[in-house]
Amino acid sequence: MPLSTTPDSNWSTRDFSRVPFEVFTSSDHYAREQSRIFRGPAWNYLCMEIEIPNSGDFIRTWVGDLSVVVSRAEDGSIHAFENSCAHRGAQLTSKLRGNTRRHTCAYHLWTYSLKGELVGVPLEKGVNGKGGMPPHFDKRNHSLNTLRVTTFGGLVFGTLSDDTPDIETYLGPHAVSQIQRLLVQRKPKVLGYLRQRIPGNWKLYNENVRDPYHGSLLHLFQVSFRLQQPTMRGGIKMDADLKNTWNHSILTEEESGNRQTLSDAYAGTGKFAPEMRMADPALTQVPLDLGDGYKTTILSIFPSLIVAQVDNTYAIRHLRPKGPDLVELHITYLGFESDTPEMTHDKLLTSNFIGPAGYISLEDGEALRLVQEGIRTRRPDQHEMLEMGGVGDIRDTDYLSQEISIRGFWSFYHRIMGDAA
Amino acid sequence: MTPDLMLRLRVESFLYDYAAMLDDERFGDWPNLFTPHECRYEVLSRENVDLGLPVPIMSCYSHGMVRDRVAMLVQGTLTYRKMKLLRQVSNVRAGAEPDGTIVVHAGLTVYQSDEEGVSSLYIVARYQARLVPLEDSFQISVMKVVVDSFGIDTMLAVPL
Repeated sequence: MPLSTTPDSNWSTRDFSRVPFEVFTSSDHYAREQSRIFRGPAWNYLCMEIEIPNSGDFIRTWVGDLSVVVSRAEDGSIHAFENSCAHRGAQLTSKLRGNTRRHTCAYHLWTYSLKGELVGVPLEKGVNGKGGMPPHFDKRNHSLNTLRVTTFGGLVFGTLSDDTPDIETYLGPHAVSQIQRLLVQRKPKVLGYLRQRIPGNWKLYNENVRDPYHGSLLHLFQVSFRLQQPTMRGGIKMDADLKNTWNHSILTEEESGNRQTLSDAYAGTGKFAPEMRMADPALTQVPLDLGDGYKTTILSIFPSLIVAQVDNTYAIRHLRPKGPDLVELHITYLGFESDTPEMTHDKLLTSNFIGPAGYISLEDGEALRLVQEGIRTRRPDQHEMLEMGGVGDIRDTDYLSQEISIRGFWSFYHRIMGDAA
Repeated sequence: MTPDLMLRLRVESFLYDYAAMLDDERFGDWPNLFTPHECRYEVLSRENVDLGLPVPIMSCYSHGMVRDRVAMLVQGTLTYRKMKLLRQVSNVRAGAEPDGTIVVHAGLTVYQSDEEGVSSLYIVARYQARLVPLEDSFQISVMKVVVDSFGIDTMLAVPL
């Protein structure tokens, strides 16, 4: 795909192989991202439909650093609104989830419908003809700030912009087929939540999930136990905007035997331990539910959603930025309604792969911390460099040692940020 | 001294040794504190426990899995933030079941200190354990660590 934008001097190269460090560290930049991206023309993941199955169910989530309530109304429709009263701005609910007939502000008991409409103002007409709201006051003008909501494959998305395209266009064909594969062909159920607060910028995580280059180098567990290797087959595919990436890897018998290439790749690092054996290999022997041979498939949707299959784990990862140098990684860990008790037990076993204590993921928290710490004092005109896999055009690949999809992320980021990039 | 108080002191002593072993990073010895055949170690999020959801933050359903959990720590191949940890065990309560199993509840706070001497609170949690008497001490048959501070800072690389 040819490049459609010409970066300014701070970005220095047209192919986004250089990214100025200040985008990860500057508070001003972070504030501009909130308006241009999270409140701009992007579909933000909110929750899964199965988390609010009944009328009155609600769940609290985040759009960037905006607190949002997602609510299921009496007619089954899903609504999302800012968690802030239209009156004086108080937080409407501090509960993470629940069921209610109305959303009522604790301060003056202003009451909202499940769709976010203001339906009750105590003492609206005053007492004995005195006080009360002025004659022009009309409750219809004081609904909660609502988001436009759409759903796709059981995922609920919201946007604060009228310019955001329809969801299928936004997702692109690879995301559409992967959501079908992971979340639609079997009905998912939530097995639990995991949270990790990573002291790094939210975009570092977006880079991380578009970076199959690091997978088998940072995460020695999966190499030692032959779950993932640098010599593995795989590739990446992007949508037309280059913002969403699907990367996948396939482990074949032939390649799992190729240990010489491996020990060459790790020469001198002291990390490769081919003699390592597990005392209880049960979690590495869990069969893949899906018979399509994919060991890892990571679908990354701009700006804050990742739908991930890592071995036989299935999870929604949601990025919740907490400032330029902190992001909460919120994980919704899934099983499926059709799972047998043995399959559910297997998913608890394999949950050891992911999350804050995950054999394959805990190191990402440290890697991001190290980057954030390392770039804290770099000069604004200095850049990270992304050349692995080739420079120039940003295109799909059938190999994994690449950073091209990271450049895809940055090209869209640069476009959506406009003159604020 | 009453038998209840004696039991509590013995359990406290065991938990202090457990905490000190992990604080001292003697990870290779940690599996020896568990019953060698069936045992269970789980770190659970308060959020999931309250919702009745089963997914653990960390789990070992066999003695082999307990050994595997610390294998990369012992070998030095895991990449994680190496902080000096101080585990403080508090509010210890212990009672004996008819079959001799000791049921234990205790509080746990863990402080982390970096290489430049800056400390912060890392974990707030509760132990729920079942211990089996062995000679003048115990072995762990079940250890659940229910974490109130389930928004885990950076990562959880070591057992609690």
